[in-house]
Amino acid sequence: MTNVLTLNNVSYQYEGAKKNVLKGINAAFERGVVYTIVGKSGAGKSTLLYLISGLDVPTGGEILCGDVSLKEIDRDKYRAENVGVVFQSYNLLTNATAVQNIVLSMHISKSPEKDKTAYAYALLEKVGIDRETADRKILKLSGGEQQRVAIARALAHNPAILIADEPTGNLDKDTESDILNIFKSLAHDENRCVIIVTHSRKVTAIADVVYGIQDGQLSVIKQKKEG
Amino acid sequence: MYIIKNALQNLVRNRGRNLMIGGIIFVIIVSVVTALMINNTANGVINDYKTRFGSEVSFKPNMQKMNEEARKNAKPGSPITVRRPTIDPGDLIKFGQSDYLKEAIFTAQSKGNSEQLKPIDKEKGGGGGPMVSNNGGEAESLGRQFYHKLLGEDYSDFKDGLRELTEGSRFPENNGECIISEDLLENSGLSIGDTITVTSVLESASSEPGNEDYIDISWELTIVGSYADATDEYNGGMMENAFTNRRNEIITTFETLREKMQDGFFGIEVEAKYYLKNPDMLDAFTEEVYAKGLSTVFDVVTDSASYDAVVGPVEGLKGIAVSFVIIVLTFGGIILALLSSIAIRERKYEIGVLRAMGMKKLKVVAGLWTETLAITILCLILGLGVGMIVAQPVTNVMLDQQITAAESASNNNGLPPGAVVTGGQMGSGPSSNAEPLKDLKVSLDMLTILEIIGIALLLSSVSGIISTRKITKYEPIKILMERN
Repeated sequence: MTNVLTLNNVSYQYEGAKKNVLKGINAAFERGVVYTIVGKSGAGKSTLLYLISGLDVPTGGEILCGDVSLKEIDRDKYRAENVGVVFQSYNLLTNATAVQNIVLSMHISKSPEKDKTAYAYALLEKVGIDRETADRKILKLSGGEQQRVAIARALAHNPAILIADEPTGNLDKDTESDILNIFKSLAHDENRCVIIVTHSRKVTAIADVVYGIQDGQLSVIKQKKEG
Repeated sequence: MYIIKNALQNLVRNRGRNLMIGGIIFVIIVSVVTALMINNTANGVINDYKTRFGSEVSFKPNMQKMNEEARKNAKPGSPITVRRPTIDPGDLIKFGQSDYLKEAIFTAQSKGNSEQLKPIDKEKGGGGGPMVSNNGGEAESLGRQFYHKLLGEDYSDFKDGLRELTEGSRFPENNGECIISEDLLENSGLSIGDTITVTSVLESASSEPGNEDYIDISWELTIVGSYADATDEYNGGMMENAFTNRRNEIITTFETLREKMQDGFFGIEVEAKYYLKNPDMLDAFTEEVYAKGLSTVFDVVTDSASYDAVVGPVEGLKGIAVSFVIIVLTFGGIILALLSSIAIRERKYEIGVLRAMGMKKLKVVAGLWTETLAITILCLILGLGVGMIVAQPVTNVMLDQQITAAESASNNNGLPPGAVVTGGQMGSGPSSNAEPLKDLKVSLDMLTILEIIGIALLLSSVSGIISTRKITKYEPIKILMERN
């Protein structure tokens, strides 16, 4: 199986900081697999997420999308087309409706869908948002609903990689289960690479591979056996 | 396309903020529309009047220079005699041959008597001779008296519509032809085609009081027409006699009078009016006529008094309009820049989200600029409409204030009550009966519309530039980390 994302000796140091928060990380991510990254607060989980989502660049090493280094491609385009990110605080356009958020994301990523609005409604329905809720402004939606919209938006441009930062942190148990089922389905049924940064045991329970991050190093803690 | 669609949706999504920005742009545009309409209309009026008053040039004797000249030439022990300076008609014609002139009009004037003519108001006596004041203070004529004025080529009253040729009449075309008023023709029992003899005198420039040196001259004139005369008989003047009565004037050609002129003799006065191609050519023309021999006791002047009287208040109005535009644009621009800056800060999160989704900086800027542009276009349409309604009443009020201020300044003359003016220059500051322009019909022309569109685009660009500067500094990761 080919790696969809590869980290080669990736390091990162914040401006003004004396130590690297990430120190020469090597890892490979494949399609059809759910990955979770766990670690203590401040260990560098979110930093790693920002790096692999193309929002920031490593201060050392490189990240490859397929065979191409992120240094060599337009990071705006990478974010728009190759990767979908579900942020911890959703980062949706709060004055716009749920469906408008999805349609705008599709426009930015130059989605080939002709009827983008119909596609957006279908996508929202897939993550459990009915049409009436889809037409409501984000501010009027509950945390769980916003999380679902954020997932739908991340999937709007059909990315190979889906990255989620604490996606169930603000959700009740029922909604948490629904969301985790969606992630599992995206990896196993739709052959996407799902990378989840989390503290939650329930989330790590669904992962095929669990990475731990400690002292700036990433290591495999648990890996489900194939078959 | 989606950038425009999203920008238009944002207008509704952020109603409060956009209404505030729109309100400010609207006020700026209405103010600028009003001020520019006033300014451009005033400009048109000023240029028109400048061409009319500024292009007509004449030579006026300067009293101060005449006095200096007389003092210089006076013999020791003799009284200083100031004589009215004259310009040789040949010189006047020479001055008229200039590349700076559009047209040169020459007129001549003399006085005369004719046995065939029976002047109107003959019983009031004649005039035109030397005058002396008697003990009662009334002026009395001495020596030869004249009953008629001979005008060479003076058709100004025909141009003003105060005189009109009667049927079967024509203007004098050849030397020795004349026209007279219908009243004088009837009073004299003459007909068109009759010939009259007009006699006059030329006085030597070296004549001394009591020892005058005259030459008798005469003209044989054929009456080729008459005219209905609606001019004021005495022009409101104090002296009423046959000579000053305008019905007794005889109009002939300029050359008819000129051919009787002799060097060193007065009695036929020539006047020249020069019309410049462009009022800005006055200095060059002045230099040229002095170089051609015009005496320096003459000033080369335009009708600045009439120009000032008519256009002064409009110029004041224009000045206010220009100042107003500058103030509105400066303060409006600053307020708009501050508001845009605040609005961008407020939308920092939204910008971070769009950038995180992969939208390029340029597209984010384009979106924000489209929003401002849409607000500006809306305000432009409303502002043009409201500005057009408001401009005329505002103009009327401001022009009234300017006229009142000008009249008040004119009444005061800058002097305390009872002050006496001494010295001064004859001819250099002619008083004017011209009425100030009391109505200024402002209108919205294409130039004004283009200027306003330009200003509106400039305003939206101010906002656009600020957005661009801010957004290029923002990195989505930082915005989102701050937020989180």
